[in-house]
Amino acid sequence: MRKLFAIVGREWRAYFLSPLAYVILTAYMFLNGLIFSRIVAFLSAPGAPRERFLSLMFTNTYVWIFTLFIIPILTMRLLAEERRSGTLEVLLTSPVSETMVVVGKFLGALGFYLVLWAPSVLFILFLRAKTSVDLGAAASGYVGIALLGAYFLAIGTFASSLTKNQILAAILTFAILIPVFSVGLFESGSDPARQSLIGYLNIWDHMDEFARGVVDTRRIVYYLSGTAFFLLLAATILHSKKETP
Amino acid sequence: MIEVTSLSKRYPTRLAVDDVTFSVKRGEIVGFLGPNGAGKTTTMRVLTGFLPPTSGSARVAGHDVVAESMRARAAIGYLPESAATYLEMRVAEYVTFRARLEGVAGRAVRGRVAEALDRCLLADVAGRRIESLSKGFRQRVALAGALVHQPPVLVLDEPTIGLDPVQIIKIRETIRQLGRDRAVLLSTHILPEVESVCDRVLIIDRGRIVAEGTPAELRSKLAGTPTLRAAWRGSVAVREGLAKLPGVSAVEVEESEGETRARILCEPGADPRDDVFRLAVANGWVLRELAREALSLEDVFVRLTRHDEAAAAPADVAVAEPGEPS
Repeated sequence: MRKLFAIVGREWRAYFLSPLAYVILTAYMFLNGLIFSRIVAFLSAPGAPRERFLSLMFTNTYVWIFTLFIIPILTMRLLAEERRSGTLEVLLTSPVSETMVVVGKFLGALGFYLVLWAPSVLFILFLRAKTSVDLGAAASGYVGIALLGAYFLAIGTFASSLTKNQILAAILTFAILIPVFSVGLFESGSDPARQSLIGYLNIWDHMDEFARGVVDTRRIVYYLSGTAFFLLLAATILHSKKETP
Repeated sequence: MIEVTSLSKRYPTRLAVDDVTFSVKRGEIVGFLGPNGAGKTTTMRVLTGFLPPTSGSARVAGHDVVAESMRARAAIGYLPESAATYLEMRVAEYVTFRARLEGVAGRAVRGRVAEALDRCLLADVAGRRIESLSKGFRQRVALAGALVHQPPVLVLDEPTIGLDPVQIIKIRETIRQLGRDRAVLLSTHILPEVESVCDRVLIIDRGRIVAEGTPAELRSKLAGTPTLRAAWRGSVAVREGLAKLPGVSAVEVEESEGETRARILCEPGADPRDDVFRLAVANGWVLRELAREALSLEDVFVRLTRHDEAAAAPADVAVAEPGEPS
């Protein structure tokens, strides 16, 4: 466990040592602030359905589109840079397994991703002073954010394990994320089988559910198994592909 | 501590390590010497568990590097050829990370890190970012990371590459100290390094061990014909007199800048220096120089790894030079 913490801690700190992290942090704060002002405007309107404002916060299109671009940037470095610089050899000749390396790095990235969302907790606390906030729904919204984030970051970690070129890793992550993101667009249609399949994969609906305080175990299973799948894939690739081509 | 038995490693396109067998005991520093691409790094990568062997086996501190990989890895301090570190980290921070990664117990970390920094002469730069340091310092940071958990086995891939002469001397001293109570395998293509640090040398070429022994052994066994070098003032006719001396097989003479210089090739085991001196005294020649040409390890190395030579030394003979009584 101590070894895992060493990897997670190093990875997490590595983000704060790069200027890019601060650019992303600032951009996220700006976006979160934008949402906050919208929520305030929404709540100020007479007769607004107050209980719906959490949906505004958690399913804001701008934020998720921005996140779609941010995830590859957060994960491209993880393993590709280790491969390029040769530190992968240091990690893999230490008494730690490939899985631990992958999971440690992934958790470091997840930690930073959650930091991006941290300021929004303040907004909820502010709003709570002025209006009633369903804290249960807010909590489930954050669970949704963490689950989606974990899934996307696992995809990025996997892409980063394939190459020593960070840009390639980022593009690959983006290429996988786009269909994952947009599959919900195909939900309309008459075929019920198709509808239920796509409904199962539609992350926008899922996020809306989370924001309403609906925690469906099927969603949790979907995201956790997806995360585990891509992380194991990354560990397998590290195990089999040690030499840099 | 390190036992390698008939180890081979085949890459898709070539055989990098070919049936290599050797061992390194505790308290011994063994030098792995060979030209680039000879298989040094590949062998080390198999030992450290980074690459699986194609056939044969390797044990480190009694643990098989494949079956008990974690235990074997825990017993090794490895400095890879790239000496890669995380450049954005600070020196002490990086070494602390390595200590935790190796599983050093929480309360011992601080002390171990301080000791490793001390050993590698890094105490003054402990708070500096690694990226702000020169190549030599970075190399020492990587070395400190490799030995921070005080492993019984050290595998160092070109530990002094990129260092300035003063640093090289200090790092060699460090390695000598470390070698007193642990097994050290270091690779290099710098010959003086082998001479000054190693107890034993393995010369590897094209994946095979072509010679093994102490530096002195290798030199003496491969010395071939002993040769004397002499010089006299002025232009003097030395050739005939020298050729008649007992034990002398051939003489090469050349004159330059008011000096007569000669290379005297002797029969094996002969040392006619006294006779050369007496000959000079008897003829009134002013002897300016008289020395035995020692075959350097470099010559040994070049002989063993020169590929255009018709007969390459067979791998299973410890030290063998074709046509040479051993």
